[in-house]
Amino acid sequence: MMDLVFSTAITFVGQATSITTFDSYALSVVVKIAFALGLFFVVPLIGGYLEHKVMGRMQARRGPVEAGPFGTLQLVADGIKFIQKEDVIPRAADKWVFAAAPGVALVPGMLIFLVLPIGPGVFALDLELGLFYALAISSVSVLGIMMGGWASANKFALLGGLRAGGQLIAYELPLILAAIAVAVQAGTLSLVGIVEAQATFTLPGTTINVWYLFPQFLGFAIFFLAAMAELSRPPFDMPIADSELVFGYMTEYTGIKFAMYLLTEYGGMIVMSALMVVLYLGGWQLLPGVPLPGCEGTGGLFDCDPMGTLLGVVITIGKIMALVFLMVWARVAYPRLREDQLQRFAWLALIPLALLNLALVGVAKVVF
Amino acid sequence: MTGHDVVFLLVALLTGGAALLTVTSKNLFHAALFLAVTLAGIAGTFLVMRADFLALVQLIVYVGSVAVLFLFGLMLTRAPIGREALDGQNRGLALVVSGTLFVVLSTLIISTFGGERAAEVAGPSIADIGISIFADWVLPFELLSMLLLAALIGAILLARREDGESGEPMPERRIELSDEPVTHAGAQELPAGDSKPELTAGGDR
Amino acid sequence: MATTSPPGVGLAKGLAVTIKHLFRYPSTQMYPKQRPDLPPRTRGVIALMDENCTVCMLCARECPDWCIYIDSHKETVPPAKEGGRARTRNVLDRFAIDFSLCMYCGICVEVCPFDALWWSPEFEYAEFQIDDLLHEKERLREWMDTVPPPPMLEEGAVPPAEAADAIAKKEKELEAEAAKQAEVTAPPAEAAAAPAEAKPRTADVKVEGAGEIDQETYDRLIAEGKSERIARSKAKSAWVRKQKEKLAAEQEAATAEERGGDEAAAAKPKAAEVHVEAGEIDQETYDQLIAEGKSERMARAKAKAAYVRKQRAKLAADAEAGAEDGGSEAGGGAPEASTPAEPADADEPKPKPADVHVEGAGEIDQETYDQLIAEGKSERIARSKAKAAWVRKQKQKLIDEGGDA
Repeated sequence: MMDLVFSTAITFVGQATSITTFDSYALSVVVKIAFALGLFFVVPLIGGYLEHKVMGRMQARRGPVEAGPFGTLQLVADGIKFIQKEDVIPRAADKWVFAAAPGVALVPGMLIFLVLPIGPGVFALDLELGLFYALAISSVSVLGIMMGGWASANKFALLGGLRAGGQLIAYELPLILAAIAVAVQAGTLSLVGIVEAQATFTLPGTTINVWYLFPQFLGFAIFFLAAMAELSRPPFDMPIADSELVFGYMTEYTGIKFAMYLLTEYGGMIVMSALMVVLYLGGWQLLPGVPLPGCEGTGGLFDCDPMGTLLGVVITIGKIMALVFLMVWARVAYPRLREDQLQRFAWLALIPLALLNLALVGVAKVVF
Repeated sequence: MTGHDVVFLLVALLTGGAALLTVTSKNLFHAALFLAVTLAGIAGTFLVMRADFLALVQLIVYVGSVAVLFLFGLMLTRAPIGREALDGQNRGLALVVSGTLFVVLSTLIISTFGGERAAEVAGPSIADIGISIFADWVLPFELLSMLLLAALIGAILLARREDGESGEPMPERRIELSDEPVTHAGAQELPAGDSKPELTAGGDR
Repeated sequence: MATTSPPGVGLAKGLAVTIKHLFRYPSTQMYPKQRPDLPPRTRGVIALMDENCTVCMLCARECPDWCIYIDSHKETVPPAKEGGRARTRNVLDRFAIDFSLCMYCGICVEVCPFDALWWSPEFEYAEFQIDDLLHEKERLREWMDTVPPPPMLEEGAVPPAEAADAIAKKEKELEAEAAKQAEVTAPPAEAAAAPAEAKPRTADVKVEGAGEIDQETYDRLIAEGKSERIARSKAKSAWVRKQKEKLAAEQEAATAEERGGDEAAAAKPKAAEVHVEAGEIDQETYDQLIAEGKSERMARAKAKAAYVRKQRAKLAADAEAGAEDGGSEAGGGAPEASTPAEPADADEPKPKPADVHVEGAGEIDQETYDQLIAEGKSERIARSKAKAAWVRKQKQKLIDEGGDA
């Protein structure tokens, strides 16, 4: 039985070795799941704390200061508060759909953490289809949002769900098209493989090592904007739009279910930032062309000693947080777009540009 | 019966049950959700049979897009909010059609793949799939793309409302992304016969 | 149309503004740990100075929320003088503001004619029970301790008209005094001819004291909460001052007697010239009121008024005595001639003092007015009190004349 489950599980063919792989299969599974869950519950908290503080300072406030040293435990306190709160289900709501919706939105976000590499060997799985997996799984989240919007039996929630559906369909296209361009350039869909390809990518005719940010800046910009829209973050937060729709599809949610939606958003921020780090910013590489100290393998990024591994993790988290900072910055600086502007921006600006980017990358890949 | 069979059976039962609920559910929205579960279950069956690329394609295309479009359409049009029921009166006819279809398809599949074990079929790697599509099957692939493009354009043409078609003029006062909002006072300052008549505030139209 | 900038400039500007704020020090006040820095006119809570309240009900009527509750009863006050008319006055029984209804518009504070309501910046009076937000008179009185002094006028601001008048008057007085001093220092020729009879300067009078203090001044200062040391030193100087004045007066009187009636009459201080120093109180009245259980503040105020009244009566009596000595037929009219008040008809004697009827068309007693303004009373209060003082003076004069007749 066990070996057959194993044989099913290894359908996703691993390429690089992970530190979470052990001789015992059962132990490996437990450690991998624990690793992904740990990432899912810790890194979004760091990102959330960063958002609180940066937003506060940009608005001449201090942000959280009371819970824990410098308010670092604010989100933990919030989580405890959400758990304590009464779980209200509206009488007119569709009870089962209403209850299941936050889970449907949350679980895909958790599953993506399985493939995110955050350091040399520090990942649960290295799938051959890693990038495709991440994008495919993340597209399921919208189901949970639309379920919540419909089941709340609330017009605001319904409108929010509708907007979310339209927005997520519209922005998934440029997101995937931009990611495909990177896959084309790297020649692989494996996230670890893309990091490796970036470490060995040199500008044509020279030996200068650059990240994909440089040749694909357009793609990065498209991916960044589309990711913000996918996450419904301001200035693309029309599905939530608190001044128009109360709180969109989350209007009727309280307590732990609301917290699950929020966690989905923050987890999504981390996932999208981590994907951008892998796709465009060289993963755990400190600087282009600089091998990590203590690492030997390809491009000085693999087969690391513990110190090098730790350094790689710190670098990745740092880059993720830098991108989160950019998202927060945009959130503070810009007002919300109008719904029609949002759709026009996606269909008339981002998607054509993404197609152009893809074509350019394809041509360049063949020429050089 | 091996463990692989057990897993397959579980996934298949989930898929089949969800499919049944899809057609028997009295609530249209629930039916659409069960359809999403069915489609996800099919992706699971693909996964069990080691067709991981196909499974992910199934997930992103059907669950992530088709089911979402279904829900979107329902919410836009006639889905009742909350627990209200909405059901058709064609149960008998539907039963006959789906039963016939089921018998025909299962007969075909069993007669074709009856003796082979799915567990032993190792799926091709994604590189092999890519090479096979873009080398051996490039012509059908391109033809299909053309077909899809034609369908896309056709859909746009059908959905597009021509000027005056429904008795109303096309809304001309569409505000572009780069346009700055025009206040009423600002609009009045425009001289008559300005080159941008669509920017004048409503009322004179 | 507004001028258009190249696309993207606005986006960059937005980012620049926010990033600038990121490195700015946050303007948060860490409130529970650090007291907020509130301006003195902050509308925190309304304080009541219940001694000033006359139960006119203006505040309760003007309150848009009807959140002020006032109860009172009337008391008959025995006449201040023998044969006077008994008065009734309102006594405040209850004054309560319901801060759960109050919307902090401040109309009650604005409308109060007697400065009984004040804004205080205190704001920490949240309660667990909404009933506890009803602050009764005692609680409102406690807030009075937290009322800050009014903010200083800005540099170069025009002072209020009444204060400016009072200041000008005071300056004029000081000038006159200085002129008098100069006159005394350089005596005229006739005075030089008779140096022995010259009016002695106050400064020339030598008073020797071995630590004697003026008990009245001492008590008063102690009662005002001054330290014992300050009170003692001031009381000493007050004693010396008094002794000097007494000696000077004696010498002057001696001189005046020698000179004769008219001059003596002229030398008598005129009522209008006597400046009753603010802060002097009638100790007797004060003690009596304190013994009656009146509050210190009220007792002080009344004692002051009593002192002023007594002084004035004494002066008037002196003046009259001086006039009689001089054989002047003009009666009490002569000393009053220089007062700004309209002289009453002195020729018609009034048979009964209680029936004395004085009609005034808004005349005020300038002296009282100035004094009250100098004490920091509002212009309205000062005017009304000054009017009352004028009427009182006129009556007193008429009564005195009637008695003479």
